[in-house]
Amino acid sequence: MKIMKTRKAIVALALGALSLGALDANAQHENYFRAIGTPHKPKVEISFNRYYSSEGLWDLMKKIAAAHPDLAKVESIGKSVQGRDILTITITDFSTGKDTDKPAMWIDGNIHSNEIQGGEFSLYVAWYLTEMYADNDFIKQLLKEKTFYITPTINPDARNNFFKEPNNANTPRSGMLVLDNDGDGLAGEDMMDDLDGDGNITMMIRKSPTGRFIKDPLDSRRLMMVGPDQVGEYEMLGQEGIDNDGDGEVNDDGIGYYDPNRDWGWNWQPDYIQRGALRYPFTLPENRAIMEFVMKHPNIAGAQSFHNSGGMILRGPGAEEDVNTYTREDIRIYDAIGKVGQEMIPGYRYITVYKDLYTVFGGELDWFYGNRGVFTYSNELMNPYLYFHKDGGGRGNQDEQFRVDQLLTFGDAFVNWKEYEHPQFGTVEIGGFKKTFGRAHPGFLLEQDAHRNAAFTIFHAYHTPKLSVMNVEEEDLGGGLKAITATIFNERMMPTHASQDLKYKIERPDYVTISGAKVVAGFVVEDEDRNKFKEQKSSPEKIAVENIPGMSAVKVKWIVSSGSNYSISVNSAKGGKATWKK
Amino acid sequence: MRKLILTGLLVGSWFCSSVFAQSDYPTLSQINQRLQKLGSNSSAELKTLSKTAGGKDIYVLKIGTGNMDQKPAIAVVGGVEGYHVLSVELALQFAEKLIAEHAEALQTTTFYVFPNMSPDAYEQYHAALKYERRGNASAVDHDRDGTANDNGYSDLNGDGLITWMRVEDPMGDWTVSKEDPRVMVKADRSKGEAGKYLVMKESKDDDKDGKFAEDLKEGIAFNKSLTYKFPVFEPLAGDIAVSQAESRALLDYLFEQWNIFAFVTFSPSNNLSSPLKYNAGEARKRVVSSILEKDQVINAMVSDVYNKTVSQKAFQQTNQGTDGDFFQWAYFHFARLSFSTPGYWTPEFKGKNNPEANYLAWADSLGWNSFVPWTEVKHPDFPNQKVEVGGVKPFMLTNPPYEKAAEISAEHTDFILKLAGMQPKLEFHNLKTEALGNGLTRVSVDLFNNSPLPTHSEMGARSRWLRKIRIDLDSSQDKIISGDKITLVESMGAFEKISYSWIIRGTGNISLKAGAPHTGFATQTIKL
Repeated sequence: MKIMKTRKAIVALALGALSLGALDANAQHENYFRAIGTPHKPKVEISFNRYYSSEGLWDLMKKIAAAHPDLAKVESIGKSVQGRDILTITITDFSTGKDTDKPAMWIDGNIHSNEIQGGEFSLYVAWYLTEMYADNDFIKQLLKEKTFYITPTINPDARNNFFKEPNNANTPRSGMLVLDNDGDGLAGEDMMDDLDGDGNITMMIRKSPTGRFIKDPLDSRRLMMVGPDQVGEYEMLGQEGIDNDGDGEVNDDGIGYYDPNRDWGWNWQPDYIQRGALRYPFTLPENRAIMEFVMKHPNIAGAQSFHNSGGMILRGPGAEEDVNTYTREDIRIYDAIGKVGQEMIPGYRYITVYKDLYTVFGGELDWFYGNRGVFTYSNELMNPYLYFHKDGGGRGNQDEQFRVDQLLTFGDAFVNWKEYEHPQFGTVEIGGFKKTFGRAHPGFLLEQDAHRNAAFTIFHAYHTPKLSVMNVEEEDLGGGLKAITATIFNERMMPTHASQDLKYKIERPDYVTISGAKVVAGFVVEDEDRNKFKEQKSSPEKIAVENIPGMSAVKVKWIVSSGSNYSISVNSAKGGKATWKK
Repeated sequence: MRKLILTGLLVGSWFCSSVFAQSDYPTLSQINQRLQKLGSNSSAELKTLSKTAGGKDIYVLKIGTGNMDQKPAIAVVGGVEGYHVLSVELALQFAEKLIAEHAEALQTTTFYVFPNMSPDAYEQYHAALKYERRGNASAVDHDRDGTANDNGYSDLNGDGLITWMRVEDPMGDWTVSKEDPRVMVKADRSKGEAGKYLVMKESKDDDKDGKFAEDLKEGIAFNKSLTYKFPVFEPLAGDIAVSQAESRALLDYLFEQWNIFAFVTFSPSNNLSSPLKYNAGEARKRVVSSILEKDQVINAMVSDVYNKTVSQKAFQQTNQGTDGDFFQWAYFHFARLSFSTPGYWTPEFKGKNNPEANYLAWADSLGWNSFVPWTEVKHPDFPNQKVEVGGVKPFMLTNPPYEKAAEISAEHTDFILKLAGMQPKLEFHNLKTEALGNGLTRVSVDLFNNSPLPTHSEMGARSRWLRKIRIDLDSSQDKIISGDKITLVESMGAFEKISYSWIIRGTGNISLKAGAPHTGFATQTIKL
């Protein structure tokens, strides 16, 4: 019986294989059809209209790697403060070379614990690339040439805290270290208190004859201030909570406070200059794990760090003190990619941190660029524009939020006011917007915005350098000598070395090597038409080229005394490898 | 003859081990023995913080009595530069003298001694090839050519010392000093002087890039790799501040010792013989790069104490801090009072201006053999030029002969104890209790900082890594009718007082406590 079953299955498989070609013809008998731009019948089904805990993200990453063993692998690159793994999924077509031999894109999310959807957006990139590989020529070619290192959450401890413990939309921003925030010598002695037990820290109001607020008669969820000559009914008491340490402040010493995005080793400044900094760069094990991974992967040429919110594509510098770090020629490349991003993601603006947002010392994007020469953006995900496709006056516009909750989410976003007997304040009412509303996308907007942001990172990755050796020419010089010139072309926008990289010699030069020929002298061609060459006296067979700029070429030249079957190869840390054979 | 030599050797070793227990700066294992001995003392705890890349231990000696963490503390740091071997000896002798001769200081102050932050580099002093080394044993590509440590020094004349080499070259920009023909100086182009020599550290161009000794066989220098003005990508500094195990271990430890109010670092930098200067523009910037105005006054006051205690006079001391160093970090990024001194200066001698000429004149007068005469060598990179090796021997300019260390240490120990005597000191005065009737008592009291130093320097008051002064009234909240159960104070100035009052219900004794770990605590019992 058992044998029979197996045999049947084999026959069925064989039939299936035979009829693969007929599958399209049979498709009309199926009940669902391929939508353009989305993986059809993916091996791993993922709902992109909900959020996942750290374990939820990792489970899906492992399923992707298991379903696509030739395209994806998952590894732990370090541990979090509470000992969780930091999991990274590497995606490339491994059949065309090692991941480290190809220009790579780093993507992470959730450095701020409450900025959750970076996790799902990062996961979307991994899912999309692996599931589209078979059906889409562009993606197929991309994964032959490039590598993606994707770490959906670089803050797994506090990501879980956001979902599983009481929080509001802004907490916790830190990871799970608990420091002394009020300077009294005790750490974490006045955490948030979820008085109504609903997992959300909302607001407290209290009836008061001297209050300056009333509930809006048209929408009782909304508190409105009375006129200067009118008597109100309610006073605001602030955040839901209790003064646990008796210092007169509610919820004033909780998780943290520190900022994982002020912990990076470029223009790092201490806490009194940059609030949120810790002891020294990479105090946090999560960030240290990423730093060490990036140092060991010099092929990383582009990076994206997903944050929320406000709809921004941010580039550095984070601080005015670093204005000269970003040179005009690199900004031109930043601009070219960033402006396409604005077009791809409606409502998002491409802007610069220090002048359009606020000052950040020791931020991740500055470290990637300043310390490693990696072109990096931070996208601030979610934008109120997505609600009604109009400019609603920026994030946190309450009137708009009430309207969204009325018309689009039908009250799901708000905890209605409810009376509560408070041990310190007497009878209060507790209510307000839920933690997953405002900064986080509502489910129906999540997939679309994930796709658009993923497409932007793919465009970014596409423009990491692509090198080829071409136009190899020989000239007989007589006396058994010949000159060989070769052109090394970079057919993408990014150079192999950012100008910051060149300034500090961050990464080794690119090497152009000839083998199978006896080299007498070697040169970088500075100007072929005017006969300008720069000779390299030591090891002339391996010419060191300091940079191969984007969308342009460099030429090298050798004088050789023998060799007819030679090959020429280029080897660049950020630009990958290419070989030409005679 | 042979017997004589043998006897001589025996006598020598006998002398070394007992009568003159030490005739030269100690080896790492001798330091280790002295630390173990110190650690066996009941008032000292010896702890290993970390191992360096070279596998050497980084030690801290915590010295004190009673509740050590509740008393203000001074941290004494040596070996921030590996070639400054004197600094390790000064830190060690301070610990030895403190325990043996000044135990009474431990009643009020706790001391942390970090004797040697650069043991990998320190070891070079005793190695077969001696040179002034700063970096630890990590592999680092200082010249960023893709290969680590591939152009260090070469002992061209085989004397076991790395000195200098001069290459005769009419295009060179060095010439012979007029003050001393042994000394090389840069030709003064502004006076139309021509150069005669290239001068470089004794080395070969091992990596064939045209440069000499630019990728040393040493790693990261502790005193060039901290966060204040970190010289990113420079040789010996590396790519990221605080990248090394010993630096991280030290900082992690310090960030948990809340009682340290001041640092005394023995290093080439100096703000003791003369204080740091306040620069309003630099102090106002958000990335602060000048000592703050009020802290300059403290520095000047402490400097005055130093100059009255230490008999040496600073000579040609211009170094008041270098990028990425430790002493500036302790103030600018750790917000503690921070003092540094080299501990030793060559005295000014016969009006010589050039430091080497001055040193040599002085050394000659004492009959010291501290110069390697210029001697011609064959150099593979200069086959057709005359190359000579010579110069002042390594370590001589920054370290005195070992026998001077005891006297220097005695004076510096006195200085550190005087600094301890100035520490913040909180006291309660003028306690008054007035019965208001119906079981109510009004309690009033003055809190006084009986010290010439504030509890928090201007920088300290900005930092979250110094605790505020906390005043605790040990009574249940419902008995306190007015006044706070807990009060936090940002800072108290030198000899400043603050008055407090409470109205309390009930009878009996309650206690009042005020302080922070780095100021110590005052307590007062109140009888209602």
